[in-house]
Amino acid sequence: MATTYPALEPSVAVPVEQPQVVRAEHLSKRFGDVVAVDDLTFSLEHGTVTGFLGPNGAGKTTTLRMLLHLVEPTSGRALVFGGRYQDLARPAARVGAVLEVADFHPGRSGRDHLYSLALALGRRDPGGDHWFLGRERSAAERVDAVLDLVELGSAGRRRVGSYSLGMRQRLGLAGALLGDPELLILDEPANGLDPEGVRWLRDFLRAFAAEGKTVFVSSHVLAEVAQTVDQVVIINKGRLVTFSPLAELTGRLTGDVRVRAPEAARLQHALDREGIHSELLNGDELRVQGASTARVGEIAYHADLLVHALVPESSSLEDVFLELTAEGPS
Amino acid sequence: MIDQLLSELRKMRSTRTNLGLLAGMIGLTLLTVLVNGFVLSANELQTHDNQHTLLSAGTNGALFAALIGVMAITSEYRHGTIRPTFVVTPDRRRVIAAKVVASLLMGVAFGIVAIALSFGVGYAILAGRGIDFALATNHVLLLLLGTLFMTALWAALGVGLGSVVKNQVFAVIGVIIWAFVIDNLLRELVPDAGRFTPVAASDSMTAGFADYLLAPVAGGLLLLGYVVTFVAAGALVVARRDVT
Repeated sequence: MATTYPALEPSVAVPVEQPQVVRAEHLSKRFGDVVAVDDLTFSLEHGTVTGFLGPNGAGKTTTLRMLLHLVEPTSGRALVFGGRYQDLARPAARVGAVLEVADFHPGRSGRDHLYSLALALGRRDPGGDHWFLGRERSAAERVDAVLDLVELGSAGRRRVGSYSLGMRQRLGLAGALLGDPELLILDEPANGLDPEGVRWLRDFLRAFAAEGKTVFVSSHVLAEVAQTVDQVVIINKGRLVTFSPLAELTGRLTGDVRVRAPEAARLQHALDREGIHSELLNGDELRVQGASTARVGEIAYHADLLVHALVPESSSLEDVFLELTAEGPS
Repeated sequence: MIDQLLSELRKMRSTRTNLGLLAGMIGLTLLTVLVNGFVLSANELQTHDNQHTLLSAGTNGALFAALIGVMAITSEYRHGTIRPTFVVTPDRRRVIAAKVVASLLMGVAFGIVAIALSFGVGYAILAGRGIDFALATNHVLLLLLGTLFMTALWAALGVGLGSVVKNQVFAVIGVIIWAFVIDNLLRELVPDAGRFTPVAASDSMTAGFADYLLAPVAGGLLLLGYVVTFVAAGALVVARRDVT
């Protein structure tokens, strides 16, 4: 009996539900009496570039290491691609990580460092290759490719002990890229780099993200990553402070006006009547929010109040960051 | 597992650490065989025991083999390469297993060099001084195999010890102090227990059926037992210890 099948739908690009690339669920880590990470929850979508910010000692490094199964969580879960790192098949082919500036043996050449990692990583497609020569050849190809990618090329044959800080940084990155990962995890990658190195790194991360890949980069200085990331996870004392698009942080930039007036309290009243919020700093000083210097001067004039000084005050992104991390739970 | 093993062998070949250990072993073996060969009189060298001692210089290799294993793991912690190593291979027991096998192989290579030196130079000294060879073939064979087993197993033992201790300086000093001080003290002061130390177990594999030691096979098995215990403990500790 002939069965009729419904005509196949033309294949359309159905968006596949991507599991979150990085996910922390009530993640906590305690070292003895010290709580390094405290009930941290956030998740990162595929293709995002996220800054992981917080002052030194906030728990960033511990969190990143829990994601990579280097540190075991006390409670909660640290997931990449929907599972525990150690449960992924060939995890380094999906996640690349640079955790310290100098995780190298100084007496080993950069190339040999990468070579040993590439061998351990194994081949994507073993095919019918020779068990030994096939492995060696595929490792050598990957090593040469990543050395070129980070523009280290010929320096690869030198011992790492002779490398500059910037070169070590690139070598670390080359190691992270060996498996051609979809997610890069970088811990304070710009630490100690000269401005040129910082710019190189920024360009590199932008290019990486432009391919639709995911980046999770920690820093204790917002300015280092502000030009690279599109969202930020800010933590302090192990707890989440904020998780927001960078634009939202920018929105918090205030254009306050500082006013010195002998009768500051009366000026505050006058401003209140106009619906303008202000804050009395001391007997003769006010910080006015959401109004221009011209508007404040006009209101003072109409209220017959003397003004000694009228100064626009703008905060930087760094101020917002410092303010956020300062008001964290104590 | 082959991937990890090739990786570990690459690591061992790409620093000067093992070359340094090899040079140290060659130096100490040569020194021992030359001192024994020329300090003893021709008469003294005619005895079985003294000829055995002369050819045993290669057992010095065990100490250096142990350091191969110790360095294989502790240098990763010291230089931080343990982080990329574990990121690439999160199954840490597999990393330790690869280090054990790689160290065993390296230990065998060291053993071959040690035997070649002690036998080659030892025989040459005897022949050169016109001394008749007094050792039975089975004793020579036992010395040869025993030395190879020793260097291989001590290299594996080093991985286990280094995994537990982690700190490179402590682990290296620990091996040396054990081999030269504690083990000797135990054997002198408590001979009944001293027969069962790792060094005594090793000696019983090579010493030509000496009364005060275990039988060669028993000694070999006992040393293997030490290796299994240390490696298992090391793997357990490394798997549980946070990498900070």
